Amino acid sequence: MKRFRAYFLIAPTAALLFLFVILPYVTVLVMSFRAPADGQPYGQGFSIGGYTQFFRESYYAISLPQTLALGMATTFFCLLLGYPIALHIATASRKWRGLLYGIVLSPLLVGIVVRSYGWTILLGNSGVINSTLRDLGIITRPLPLMYNNFGVILALTHVFLPFMVLPLLSSLQSMDPAIAQAARSLGAKRLTIFRRITFPVSMPGVQAGCILVFVLAISSYVTPSLVGGMRVKTTTLLVIDALIDQFQWPFGSAMALILAVSAGIVVLVFARLTRMKWN
Amino acid sequence: MTEVSLRALKKYYGKTAALKGISLDVNHGEFISLLGPSGCGKSTTLKCIAGFEEITQGGIFFDNQDISHKLPENRDIGMVFQSYALFPHMTVAQNLAFGLEMRRVSKSEIKERVMRAMDMVQLTPYADRYPKALSGGQQQRVALARALVIEPAILLLDEPLANLDAKLRDEMRGFIRDLQKRVGITTIYVTHDQDEAMTMSDRVVVMFDGEIAQAAAPEDVYNAPASERIARFVGNANILDLAISARPEGGGIETRLPGGTTLHVTASADWAGERLRIMARPEQIMLTAPEHGQLGGRIAKRYFSGGHVEYSIDTDCDEIAVVGPTTQNLKEGDTVGLCFDPARLWPMPDDRDGAAP
Ligand SMILES: Nc1ncnc2c1ncn2[C@@H]1O[C@H](COP(=O)(O)OP(=O)(O)OP(=O)(O)O)[C@@H](O)[C@H]1O
Ligand SMILES: [Mg+2]
Repeated sequence: MKRFRAYFLIAPTAALLFLFVILPYVTVLVMSFRAPADGQPYGQGFSIGGYTQFFRESYYAISLPQTLALGMATTFFCLLLGYPIALHIATASRKWRGLLYGIVLSPLLVGIVVRSYGWTILLGNSGVINSTLRDLGIITRPLPLMYNNFGVILALTHVFLPFMVLPLLSSLQSMDPAIAQAARSLGAKRLTIFRRITFPVSMPGVQAGCILVFVLAISSYVTPSLVGGMRVKTTTLLVIDALIDQFQWPFGSAMALILAVSAGIVVLVFARLTRMKWN
Repeated sequence: MTEVSLRALKKYYGKTAALKGISLDVNHGEFISLLGPSGCGKSTTLKCIAGFEEITQGGIFFDNQDISHKLPENRDIGMVFQSYALFPHMTVAQNLAFGLEMRRVSKSEIKERVMRAMDMVQLTPYADRYPKALSGGQQQRVALARALVIEPAILLLDEPLANLDAKLRDEMRGFIRDLQKRVGITTIYVTHDQDEAMTMSDRVVVMFDGEIAQAAAPEDVYNAPASERIARFVGNANILDLAISARPEGGGIETRLPGGTTLHVTASADWAGERLRIMARPEQIMLTAPEHGQLGGRIAKRYFSGGHVEYSIDTDCDEIAVVGPTTQNLKEGDTVGLCFDPARLWPMPDDRDGAAP
């Protein structure tokens, strides 16, 4: 009876999960094995053509490592920038903490399109940076700041930084301040405390933040398409292209699944490498 | 030999004074308790000694060396925190090894000393466990061993038993005390539990409002408190407010109890004035037949508490608490006589609000 009631309580969540997560995945899975057809999104019968096409044509195949590398680079820079920020907020006085929190979260209030567009204004060939440098006579030809990996990683890092900072912050703030004091009383200096205590203890936050940013970065569409200007081909862009522009639903679905599985493997390997026996 | 010396130590947080001038000398190998109500500055004192708080004024000396501005990591202290503050990502053995690694002790010696420390606190079977997989008492012992394994000059403990249940607390009290005696380390122990302070310490330092009210052996703090506030804080105290009737040649003071009996208080200085406030501890008062007592009364309440019986007795001198043996057959409503032991009565200055100190 008790057990039944417990099931009853999770029933709505389970239903939602089924309806909006499992069902779409199953649909995509089925669709990815459909036969392609001309003039229609998909035809009769089944085929593995979508999968073979992806790996056969380098134009598509190369986008996978490119996307994963882009995601990893973004994750790395988010961690690099986010950790000091989180550390600073966690140790700030109460008065400052609220303000810093606000500053970190404020980008989320502005839509992702606006933020990405902002970067094109800054990085474009006749954008703020290039035209200033040209006016100052430092350069004659614009620096390639946009339409390349550099620009996309920069913009993605900015866009997803809050998703790194928040889990880090929660990890750091839940840490007993006495732990660092204990380390000091045992003779540890500042840097040693960070390396041997603070960072390892905040590992759950590092892990969560990295996974979150990585997954968001590889599946993002707006930023790579605006800042990359279709010259940085991520698998996600190709998926949308296949689904919407080329009207090839089976191929698009196959690519989407290949990306999802690859990302899943990366995340699993990462989680495995950063596993914490103590937690 | 003086190990730790606090000289007119002051600590302000902004404008509020947490410590208003603490002076204290702790001898080598001594076990000192800082005892006081919440917010009196016990932890602050300890943090200043450890170096986690910058002192505002005064000085801290270890072995006559001024270390007031030394960093905590250079002070050679071992500290045990109320929350234990174990490193969650390290096993018991790794926790113990950390301080030795910081001191660049050789690997083989670390291993040996960690083994010895684990043995000392009976944790050898748990060497490879993470703190999360230990009980509160076990974590407590890890914290203790981690502080001691570096063989510091001074051991500081901030309410280390506050998170344990009553039975374990009693056990750990004896454990810490024995260990401290065995190692012979100078120890400063913060607590707000007077029983803990009494049973463990060589000397109890009672603190109120950022000041030391009394620093003395447990017996003296209990039997000869410097003020009424201390008397009440370190146990149950009956305070009798009596008129002084005579100051005999032989010393002491004679007071008159309601009912006419004279009470001779032996332990006393020269108290000026007409009245005397005297402390009598509940277990130092004997209940007898009404005609034998110095003061008559009626038992208002009686509580049996296992080892002894607690009475609340209505007398002409307010309500008086008495603790007696269980062999006495007395009921609520009985009239009794109260017998005071003149040698154990303790006169005190009147420090109630509004009264002169
Ligand atoms: N960081 C701080 N900032 C401002 N005031 C503080 C700070 N730390 C302590 N205080 C104040 O200093 C006084 C003494 O605090 P302390 O922590 O030493 O008390 P305590 O005797 O240890 O009490 P408890 O038994 O509750 O631990 C308190 O009034 C407290 O409010
Ligand atoms: Mg405290």
